[in-house]
Parts: sequence; structure tokens; C-alpha cells
Amino acid sequence: MTVSEQTTEPTTERHHPPTEQEVLGVIAGMLAAVLDEYGLDDSEVTMDARFTEDLELESIDLVTLAGQLRERWGDRINFAEFIAGMELDEIIALTVGRLVGYVVDRLQSAERS
Amino acid sequence: MAFLDLDGLRFHVQRLAPQDAGPPAATVVLLHGLLTDSLASYYFTLAPVLAAAGAEVLMYDQRGHGRTGRPPTGYRLEDFADDLEALLDRLEVTGPVQLLGNSFGGTVAFALAARRPEQVAGILAIESEPASPAWAVKLDGILRRAETELVKKSTLAWVAAKRGRHTARLAGAAGRLLAETSLARDIPASRLPDEAELRAIRCPVLTVYGTRSDLAPQAGWLDGLLHDCRSVFVPGQEHSVLVETPDVVRELALSWLRERGVQLRGPGVDAVLTPGVDAVLTPAGPVR
Repeated sequence: MTVSEQTTEPTTERHHPPTEQEVLGVIAGMLAAVLDEYGLDDSEVTMDARFTEDLELESIDLVTLAGQLRERWGDRINFAEFIAGMELDEIIALTVGRLVGYVVDRLQSAERS
Repeated sequence: MAFLDLDGLRFHVQRLAPQDAGPPAATVVLLHGLLTDSLASYYFTLAPVLAAAGAEVLMYDQRGHGRTGRPPTGYRLEDFADDLEALLDRLEVTGPVQLLGNSFGGTVAFALAARRPEQVAGILAIESEPASPAWAVKLDGILRRAETELVKKSTLAWVAAKRGRHTARLAGAAGRLLAETSLARDIPASRLPDEAELRAIRCPVLTVYGTRSDLAPQAGWLDGLLHDCRSVFVPGQEHSVLVETPDVVRELALSWLRERGVQLRGPGVDAVLTPGVDAVLTPAGPVR
């Protein structure tokens, strides 16, 4: 696909896991690229925004996002594992904030180990 | 993300290696259905389970669907089967593969098995059937209706009210696919295999139906026609067995692969069927 490579880099030092705000910034950048393809407004990418209901993403877009997360942060970020076990309704109601929380958690625990 | 150019069309392909990085116990190809479907139906559900059990998993968006290219024409069954052949060749998947297809994805699986019997080790077909004259007539009716209805704002509003915005959005995307392509006219015009060709499918086949599905009554016909085919039924379900009962499908897929001699590994794969899953399935027809 034609989604351009995200260039947003965490502003923290290499050995510190990124903060919630930084992760949100990176994910918002990834989502903006997808939304831009649809010609949708990306101003609503907040922690409370729901992927399907508010951002109108389709499930195949979440596959794209999963690939970008892995490219950005490596195998520690496993989107499929993250939502495995969620019911369809729960996936539909998934918010950006919950994903941000997962990413921050994973990167912090990788830091500790 | 992985994109593969096959004969001028760009395919969105996802390939999962066995999670433990060991040699694959089997290669399982997951085939999605028409219109509202994409590889996303497997990516977050069945695919990681199979990869965790030691299988290599291959899935792709079929032409016109998901993130794969959408040519204006070329949507006969044989085009979809050509795609699968080209994909396996390009990825140099030479050994026999296990095919798992939902709805039209299963129809593609049967088409490949008829063409290349040596390359298909088994088929798990969910709410599916091989192409036949009756199939073509039925699909013609469904697709014609979808083509006129799914572009109407009133229909989509009705779907949104009855089934929610998410479903309405899927329906709208399906309407665009039909409006932009010749799919609705091409599918019924597919080359149909005769019964002799279907009898040439020698690999073991398990078909899964919802008891309330309009496909269920033909289980006996298919079981009798194919060399090695049996059916199970998921009570209370209609066509959306894969979406509505992912746990049942997961257990069925794992036990089917084990039954086929695939040496699955990883945590949890030795467990017997989850309590309840066994009980809800109704075996039917002689097991040969």
C-alpha cells in the first residue's frame, strides 16, 4: 500500500521506553496515514477514539496497523496477541487509548527484563 | 506488510511462521469469503492459534477484497483459483497444503483440489460447497440482489438500524466492490466442474455447517460424492459460523489437523476438545 513511512521518532533517550504521549503520537501518525487514504479527517485521533466506531477503520486496517506497530517496535508488540480472546463487540469498541496502554506496557516490561 | 505482485495484480499476503521458530508441522492456507470478507477474519483469530501450534499459516486478500488490488473485471472462480496457484508457486510452496476456506473461500479450495490433487492434503470447508450449476444460480440471485440493494442509502440505513453501524459499513464496502467490478456477473459465469471432476478430489474433506444454514441439507450429497468427506453441524447457526463461533472453529481446525497426522505442538494443543464444543457438534453421515 502507499502509506508513507512514519518518521515520528520518540524524543526520549534510546534507553528509556517512550511515554504514553509519545506512543499516542506515533500511533496517531500511523492512523492519520490510513485515514488520509480514505479521505477522512484525522483530527479525532484521541485516547478515547474507537477504531471502528469513531475512526471508521475496517478490520483489514487493523491488520495494516498491526504490521506497522511491529515494524516500529519489533516483535514485542503483537497486536494479534493483544486482541486474541476479545469478543467481536469488544474489538469493535476498542479505543486508541487501550492500544497505547498495551504498547507502553510492553515496552516498559521489555525494558525491565 | 507484505505485498506480492502476481500477474500484474498486487496481493496483500500475510505469512505467519510457527511461533516457536521450529520447522512447520504443516502449511495451512486460509481462504476468506466474498464481499464483506478479508484475511482480517483470520489474522486476529485462527491464524495465531495455528502458528502457536507449530503450523505455517498463509493468508491473503482475494482479488477485489481487503488490501489486494481491485481490477474492474476478472472475477470468475477460475480467476480466484489461478491466484491461489500463482501464489503457491511464487512462494515456492511445493508440498501438499491444508486448505481452510470459509464460504466462497472453500469453493476456491475445492477448485484447487480438483486442479492439483497432489498439492492439497486436506480441506476444511466452513459453510461452503464446490461450484455447481445450483451454486451458480444461487450466487447469481444473491449477487444481483446485493448489487442493487447495497448501494441504496435506505438499505444501508436499515442495516445500520437492525445490525449496527459496523455491519452497515461492511455492507457499504460490499456495495462498492459490486459497483466497481463485474464480480456479480462473473461469479455465476464461472466454469463449473462436473461431478467427475469433483470425484477426482481424493483428499480428506471436513465440511462444517450451521444447522440453520440453507447449505446444511446438501451435506449428504457432498459426503456421498466425494471420496473422503464428512460433515459436522454447529447447532443454532446460520451462515456466519466462522464469525459467530470462533472457538468451535478453532477446536475443529486443531483436531482436524491432528486427525490428518499433523504433529501439532505448543501449549494447549494436546488438550481434548474444550468441554462443550464436542457436545454442540452433531456428526452426520457415515465416516469413511
